[in-house]
Amino acid sequence: MRHIMAKQQQTLLERRYSMLGLFLIAPTVLVFCAVIVYPLISAVYLSLFKIFTPTLEGSWVGLDNYRVLLSKGEFWTSLRANLIWTVGTLSLQIIFGVGMALVLHQNIWFRSLARSLILFPYFISTVVAVLVWKWLFNDLYGILNHLMITAGLIDWPIDYLGSMPNAMISVILVGAWKYFPFVVIAVLARLQSIPDQLYEAAKIDGAGPIARFFDITLPQLREVLVVIIMLRAIWDFKEFDLIFLLTGGGPVTSTQTLPLLVYKEAFALNQMGMASAYAVIMMLIMLGFMLVYIRRTRSEES
Amino acid sequence: MKHTSMLSQGISRRGALQGLAAATAVAAMPIRASAQETTIRWWSPQAAPAQVAAYKAQIAAFEAANAGVKVVFETTSDEGYAPQLAAAFSSGEVPDIVTHLPSFAIQTYYANGLVEPFNDVIEAIGADDYYEGANEVFKAADGNYVGTGIGNSAANMLWLRKDLMEGAGISDAPKTWDELRAACQAMQKAGIYGAPLPYGRNSMTTLIFIGVIHQAGGQVFDTDLNVALDTQATRDALEFYASMRELCPPGATNYSWGEAITAFVSGATATGIYTGRVLGNVNAQNPPIADSVTCVTYPTKSADIPTWTFNDFPSVFIPKQSKNIAVAKAFAASLYNPEGYIQQLHAAPGHVLPVLKSINENPKYQSNAIIQKYPAEVELMSQAAAGGFNLGYESAKHPSNDKAGKVVGSGAIADMVQRVVLNGENADQVIGETSKAIEDIMKS
Repeated sequence: MRHIMAKQQQTLLERRYSMLGLFLIAPTVLVFCAVIVYPLISAVYLSLFKIFTPTLEGSWVGLDNYRVLLSKGEFWTSLRANLIWTVGTLSLQIIFGVGMALVLHQNIWFRSLARSLILFPYFISTVVAVLVWKWLFNDLYGILNHLMITAGLIDWPIDYLGSMPNAMISVILVGAWKYFPFVVIAVLARLQSIPDQLYEAAKIDGAGPIARFFDITLPQLREVLVVIIMLRAIWDFKEFDLIFLLTGGGPVTSTQTLPLLVYKEAFALNQMGMASAYAVIMMLIMLGFMLVYIRRTRSEES
Repeated sequence: MKHTSMLSQGISRRGALQGLAAATAVAAMPIRASAQETTIRWWSPQAAPAQVAAYKAQIAAFEAANAGVKVVFETTSDEGYAPQLAAAFSSGEVPDIVTHLPSFAIQTYYANGLVEPFNDVIEAIGADDYYEGANEVFKAADGNYVGTGIGNSAANMLWLRKDLMEGAGISDAPKTWDELRAACQAMQKAGIYGAPLPYGRNSMTTLIFIGVIHQAGGQVFDTDLNVALDTQATRDALEFYASMRELCPPGATNYSWGEAITAFVSGATATGIYTGRVLGNVNAQNPPIADSVTCVTYPTKSADIPTWTFNDFPSVFIPKQSKNIAVAKAFAASLYNPEGYIQQLHAAPGHVLPVLKSINENPKYQSNAIIQKYPAEVELMSQAAAGGFNLGYESAKHPSNDKAGKVVGSGAIADMVQRVVLNGENADQVIGETSKAIEDIMKS
């Protein structure tokens, strides 16, 4: 009898703990639903309608938006531009970022100042950064063309933003300049936690600087690079303002990435349903990439 | 008297005036009873410091005359107003009055029930005082007016440097494309290009090229608003535009309004294409060439084709969701009070031209230093703009096109220019695909 009562009390206590747990987790769940689940469901829901953006009134079209967008050449050219931009700028960010982090990890003069200044591109507003770069690239007054003409390297100004492949290269370079400090910060933090004994042991074994980088530094950076690549790939894939302000997606659609296409559908053509369909497709592409990426990195680790 | 008939059927001038007066009175009474309770928001993409100062003077005058009313001025941009307004309309948090947007943008909003009819405001301003036909572009399919012009603009004037023309042995301003091309070739020399035509993927390329199609004798839509792009005139326009490419700076492939005016004002190009804002900018930023600057309407393919001036009809309109429609209407009408309106026009002399005859004839308006320095140019722009058109209203025979804003926003015409001129794609195929894209927009 006593045993049964104890069990009942325990159950009651457990129930109360469960209630308390639910109560404590409820705010998080609510916030999660409000900022993640609701917009996600809303985007999928909107993509099934034909909607006029300013009024948000529309009619049910089912999967028609998806059928139309997948049959449009513009989707595929934008996806291609999106992939070129993402792979190009991300690769440069990683190369510049790791390189700069290695330099800043050395015992150089003004190291603290250099570490602060390196963050400047990342902190500066994209609008300001783009204005500065547009002036640098300007055909009539830009310093780049001016210096190259003065040095006798070119006779006529180079059209950096209005012709291909210059436009894509310029956008990729500006993107790499803007975002590589993020890689520097993350890699530098990891570099500082690599035990010196590893390098000392390698030196004793006769390893040179290159061998030490590939055999010690890079493996030690692996985990942080996996996270950096994942985060930056997501952010770069959905980058909008930098590309929109630099080229507007041109020439023609050469630098028009999927986010620019979403913007065009939503606000230039006032087709919010179609824009949502593009956004959902973008999300699925990213999801697919992430699943493959995480699975591969896990299998390599194991 | 002709303009009285412009108002939609069923609303007489007297009725409209009575309605506006009553609405204003009703709106004014609670304003006085509950001071500091009415705030109206004014959006405009025109944000040059002198213009903003003029707007603030108009706001101060209105607030002084209407105790308890506060007007807040907020800027948007030519390329950015569409998303901002879309967000405002969909959220219901709309500005109470919007100015300086092109007329074709308002027609789209009105067709979707988002804009308040403007008939009574036009009557309050004085319909007879407008230049003939000035409000036709704002007439909707139901006969109502969706807004009115706050000014006229002649967006595609050809700007010339008389000193460079003289140096190149050119005596007369070009009237045809061949003459323009020859003049640009003659004036293009080290450091100076012939022209700053826009080839960018933006609205300027679209708007300027629509003018070029008309200057070839063509049109984008026929008078039944069917797409009429697949014509010899469009092919000629593309051929002309391609032939001018070598006479423009390399970066013209990405030019929009800012780059185009800067190129001419700085002296980097021998000709320019812009509104009358050039006059103020040249005098302020490059005085040595100020005495050599003049303008003409943009040349046409041949002398027998009439000129076609692009006037985007900078407008005033009131969103229907505004909670202060009566006050907004009273404020809209007050923008045309001579003192404030003249100050507003003087903030960008020649750029925004008066829509009211009485203002153009007003000695105070004419007394501006820039207007006095360039009387022939300002008069020419005034006439060209008053007889101007845009994609929402391609000719006097065309009905209002409430999908014009979407066509411009889609960038289909700028894409056509880029594909043919920059990519060298087959013009016939590109024109066909562009026509199809515009047809799809018209059906959507």
